[in-house]
Amino acid sequence: MNWLTVNIISWLLFFFGAAFPVLILLKAIGLTGLMKVTRYESYHSFYYKMNPAVKIMLGIIVMVVASVTIWWIGAIMTAIILASYLTLKDGKRKFITGLFLTMMTIIGTTWAFAPYTPYVILEEAFHTGSLTTLWTWPSYFTVMGYQPALTSQGIVYGFQISMRFAAVSLMSLVLVMTSTPSQVLRSLNKVGIPTSLTFSLVVAMRTIPRIFEYIDTSVKIQFMKGLGSNSPAFLRPFYMLSGAFSGIVPVIVFLVRGAKDTAISADTRAFRAYSKRTYMYPMAIGKIDKMAVSFMVLMILLTGIVVMLGFGRGIAYNG
Amino acid sequence: MSFNGISGILNSPGEIPWEIVVLFFGAGILFTFIWGKRTGGLARFTTVDLIYIGIGAAFAVVWEFYIGAFLGKFIPSNPFFGIGYTGRLIALLIVAGLVRKVGVGMIAMFIFNLLSDLISYGFSGEPMYFLYEMLTYGLMMDLVIALAGPNLFGVKSPEKRTLAAKNKTSPRKGLEYITRMPGEYLAAFEGILIGLFWVVPEPLFYGGFISPFLYGGVVDWGKIVFDMIAFIPSAVIIGAIGGLITLRIVKAVGQ
Repeated sequence: MNWLTVNIISWLLFFFGAAFPVLILLKAIGLTGLMKVTRYESYHSFYYKMNPAVKIMLGIIVMVVASVTIWWIGAIMTAIILASYLTLKDGKRKFITGLFLTMMTIIGTTWAFAPYTPYVILEEAFHTGSLTTLWTWPSYFTVMGYQPALTSQGIVYGFQISMRFAAVSLMSLVLVMTSTPSQVLRSLNKVGIPTSLTFSLVVAMRTIPRIFEYIDTSVKIQFMKGLGSNSPAFLRPFYMLSGAFSGIVPVIVFLVRGAKDTAISADTRAFRAYSKRTYMYPMAIGKIDKMAVSFMVLMILLTGIVVMLGFGRGIAYNG
Repeated sequence: MSFNGISGILNSPGEIPWEIVVLFFGAGILFTFIWGKRTGGLARFTTVDLIYIGIGAAFAVVWEFYIGAFLGKFIPSNPFFGIGYTGRLIALLIVAGLVRKVGVGMIAMFIFNLLSDLISYGFSGEPMYFLYEMLTYGLMMDLVIALAGPNLFGVKSPEKRTLAAKNKTSPRKGLEYITRMPGEYLAAFEGILIGLFWVVPEPLFYGGFISPFLYGGVVDWGKIVFDMIAFIPSAVIIGAIGGLITLRIVKAVGQ
């Protein structure tokens, strides 16, 4: 293959790893999709009835199980958690958004490891002395930290690593989507985190979806003012990205200007007037929480058995 | 077998001796407690300060996990520039500029970490990351705030024009030169200072101890030194830009 073709294909592969997840984000999920999966919406299914502390524990257990077992257990957990998104309010939409987020995690993580992982680690991980080369990069790609060639083992290695992250990311979003910030505040106060810090955390949790909402508004206003109006349609995602980038500082100013109103509102409700707070609705441990805790114990026991059966961490995962 | 993603390896080749790390973190915690006791601790932060910290942490998280994470994919892994570093530094500089109290760096890093754990990491590797991020990035930022005093980022400096007229009538001497620097210069200077301080933790603490402690591996000191030096030019540029953005936002908010 001639020099030019090799270079064009190599750069296309490079941009695939970079641009495809961004394209999924902009075209399939959108800023409103991100807003949906980072905002609480009231509903009545089991996640919504669960104590936030139990949901945090569930997230930790999922993380521990994914990190000590073979990759396909992480994949099964990812599939189960993703399926459970259907039980959420507007479940279909959240399931699809979750699916795209998982795709982004898989492609992003695979591409973050596949071209960079040293051959020594791949040979150790796959117990082989010969790796299957899929594509040889131009020699100057090594400056970017690339290995001389892309191997099938590199891709499998990257994919397996992505299974350590996907389930935890999905489970963490469940907490944000199904607990009100004040429920999280009460749970964290119970474990001894001072009210001042949990208050900041709650402000942050409420702010994340608002950031997406305001950036989305800012981008739309820029489009209305003619941003990229004379450019071909395929360039639209890039204009959207540039609009989002330009919108960041105005959005910060807008949010920060509202801080004083929020402070007055909190202070007039006697925030920090007393060292201890009382709550109208105490955080109780209900039947669903007990079931969830039993399920977690079962998960830990099963993990122990699975590891003893030889399905523990199967690759030389490092980092 | 590891605990919560921590392998607890203390004898990786080249790893910083754990005694030094314990001493550093111990001194950091002690300093935080003593400083907190002397200055009133969390009670010194008003409700509006806590809201600024929350908003700043939210921006840092949105950048780290969504916007910056995807922009970063276009930039190959390199030791000269980090897209995650850029967003986090600017977000935290803005918070520091709005609050201007010693301790804001550590509190903001605590909230950022807690939020990152809740929405993505699931508390993997904790409490190591809390200690690491608060007592390196947070503490270094607080150090600059303590040194700079109430005129952090030149938010209290007079406008350039008024200053030029004043300087014509009374010549500047010694330290007066810095205190009467135009706000923009002071903002850029202090932004650069924090940016440079922030160059150190990732290669030195993370590469030299946290990473081998959590996951194992060999520590390459040549790489650590190279990474620190290679990052300085971009830290200077981003720090200066971050300082100027902070000054503009603080003025726009009406402080």
